Amino acid sequence: MPSRRRTLLKVIILGDSGVGKTSLMNQYVNKKFSNQYKATIGADFLTKEVQFEDRLFTLQIWDTAGQERFQSLGVAFYRGADCCVLVYDVNSMKSFDNLNNWREEFLIQASPSDPENFPFVVIGNKIDIDGGNSRVVSEKKARAWCASKGNIPYFETSAKEGINVEEAFQCIAKNALKSGEEEELYLPDTIDVGNSSQPRATGCEC
Amino acid sequence: MTDEEREGEIRASLEDAPSSPGSSGYAGEGGSTSATSGSQFEIQHQEIEDDTRIEIDRISLSDSHTSWIPGKRHLDEDDASISWRKRKKHFFVLSHSGKPIYSRYGDEHRLAGFSATLQAIISFVESGGDSIKLVRAGRHQVVFLVKGPIYLVCISSTEEPYESLRGQLELIYGQMLVILTRSINRCFEKNPKFDMTPLLGGTETVFSSLIHSFSWNPATFLHAYTCLPLSYATRQAAGAILQDVADSGVLFAILMCRHKVISLVGAQKASLHPDDMLLLANFVMSSESFRQVKLTSESFSPICLPRYNPSAFLYAYIDYFDADTYLMLLTTSSDAFYNLKDCRFRVEMVLLKSSVLSEVQRSLLNGGMHVEDLPPLPHSGSSHLGQHMLPSDSPDRFKEANSGIGGPAGLWHFMYRSIYLDQYVSSEFPSSINTPQQQKRLYRAYQKLFASMHDKGIGPHKTQFRRDENYVLLCWVTQDFELYAAFDPLADKASAIKTCNHVCQWIKDVENEIFLLGASPFSW
Ligand SMILES: Nc1nc2c(ncn2[C@@H]2O[C@H](COP(=O)(O)OP(=O)(O)OP(=O)(O)O)[C@@H](O)[C@H]2O)c(=O)[nH]1
Ligand SMILES: [Mg+2]
Repeated sequence: MPSRRRTLLKVIILGDSGVGKTSLMNQYVNKKFSNQYKATIGADFLTKEVQFEDRLFTLQIWDTAGQERFQSLGVAFYRGADCCVLVYDVNSMKSFDNLNNWREEFLIQASPSDPENFPFVVIGNKIDIDGGNSRVVSEKKARAWCASKGNIPYFETSAKEGINVEEAFQCIAKNALKSGEEEELYLPDTIDVGNSSQPRATGCEC
Repeated sequence: MTDEEREGEIRASLEDAPSSPGSSGYAGEGGSTSATSGSQFEIQHQEIEDDTRIEIDRISLSDSHTSWIPGKRHLDEDDASISWRKRKKHFFVLSHSGKPIYSRYGDEHRLAGFSATLQAIISFVESGGDSIKLVRAGRHQVVFLVKGPIYLVCISSTEEPYESLRGQLELIYGQMLVILTRSINRCFEKNPKFDMTPLLGGTETVFSSLIHSFSWNPATFLHAYTCLPLSYATRQAAGAILQDVADSGVLFAILMCRHKVISLVGAQKASLHPDDMLLLANFVMSSESFRQVKLTSESFSPICLPRYNPSAFLYAYIDYFDADTYLMLLTTSSDAFYNLKDCRFRVEMVLLKSSVLSEVQRSLLNGGMHVEDLPPLPHSGSSHLGQHMLPSDSPDRFKEANSGIGGPAGLWHFMYRSIYLDQYVSSEFPSSINTPQQQKRLYRAYQKLFASMHDKGIGPHKTQFRRDENYVLLCWVTQDFELYAAFDPLADKASAIKTCNHVCQWIKDVENEIFLLGASPFSW
């Protein structure tokens, strides 16, 4: 019996167009950054192996398009996510205000089993711009929002300079793992109903 | 049909039909006319044509479009700018309430006033129960296309025929449907003032590259697609694995190299229109996102095929195997990603094992049909198989400096469209037509020829012979095929005709390698 099966964790990255979702992913996976904006179409998809507490996991990251026309197409992408990353640009109030919509839309469309405790991670990106002088969303304000939504972990990053990106994704992996494992624990006692020693119900309850 | 019969046919129709454009409109043998050449005007007027920038970094003979930089330019312009006014070819899309949706040049928002003017013109005519199609103003043509709440307008001084410009507007509209489907109409029904621009965010390059392709990709007016030349066995191998995945719930499986088809398969009864293929390939190739990060080359996106079903999205899984070769798997199911991913894996395994991908690279290097390889004219009787060099037989013969001088009888170039297959094949350009400008000029000449040949009401067998200071152009349309050929301007008419017959024979001989045969018929 294989004792350690490789766990696959699905991570969805959401946020307004241009906040830097693709750049964050590119920095995390390839250690690269490009100044040129290339709008994501639909969703891009990549996997990365991560090690966490002595175990290997595969992070399956869905980098979605922030462009407006894709916003009604969430279902296909959101389903079965283990963690949802909400990204905004600290230099854009609108992108911060929209976090609420992104979060709610995600919860509606992905309909996770326990929405209250579904793991989100919030990232405030582009802290490098203008040495922070053009930022319009304060860290305090962002943290307050995160706290109000059930203590969502919060990171401030620069995909350009590679600041805090690794740390954010470590946290994402950890949170995805938590929810992913819960799912796994849940499965056996529904599947093994027939064989297990004391199933909850025997016979037909109809 | 034997060769002699063909030859007889084309000669007869050339000489016995005095009313055909070949013998009336143009100078025929005389070689004096210049009226056919739009490009002349282009130079005289010194107008700005955006594609001229390619000249700067022209690199290869056959792939001029690869050096073109996509994306929107001249954002600083508006209708008050001199430079904007001088541009040779404008495309606009606007809503029926006069809101700008897309402009080839300049920022849409700064062109709001101009858009309103266009809308006023269109609705003025419509309020009289009529519809506006074409306005001529000096050397400018203004072509209109109304698609429900969406208006498309082209303003051009390129002398392209009305039909061609209108066809280009149709393609732009089709490209919009690829991105949004026809359900955008509903937004306008609910709110006539609906602003569509946000929905097209990030798609400028899709449109600019489509517009650019109007001047280099003959598929945009031939309504046919073209295949990458490959040995029959190689294409079969690719087709077999595509068929395999199509059977497992994929609607269309398409393997392409740049804008050329390697193989494609449709599920039962599903057929793909060549225009949909053009728009799909343009969408994929012009969207950098699909190949942005090496590790993330897998993408999944909603996509609409307007000729297949303009109202609904399909879902496309897109993956690049290398810089040029990509696989597109289309399904109707929005959550088929994992199934498609699995299909991709199977396709990739087979392609690697059967060396299809390396054959593809080889074909890219060798190019397609070179007019120099046309078998020499036999003294009598038919031409024979196997005299030519097949692209795949001659790996050593690519783009040498001295190649490309032209074929027999001054043949420079040809395009052959098989009507039954919906496919065309175009020869490589010789050195006499090696700049993007020259190539564009030739395509525009073909396009003009195409438009005049398809001018309704002239019988099924048609030929046309034109001579100007740039080339001799010969066109031959039958029920089975259309052939367009360009010769040296001094070419002899009789031998040009003879050469065309040989080109047709040559194509027959190598059709296994240049066309995708036995694909599900393209009916719609
Ligand atoms: N200075 C700076 N620029 C950044 C940073 N992250 C992203 N950018 C730039 O912001 C622009 C948009 O970045 P993307 O990563 O493409 O944005 P996105 O969120 O993926 O956008 P969509 O795909 O349209 O949803 C690009 O020009 C990036 O170079 C950052 O941390 N600092
Ligand atoms: Mg992106």
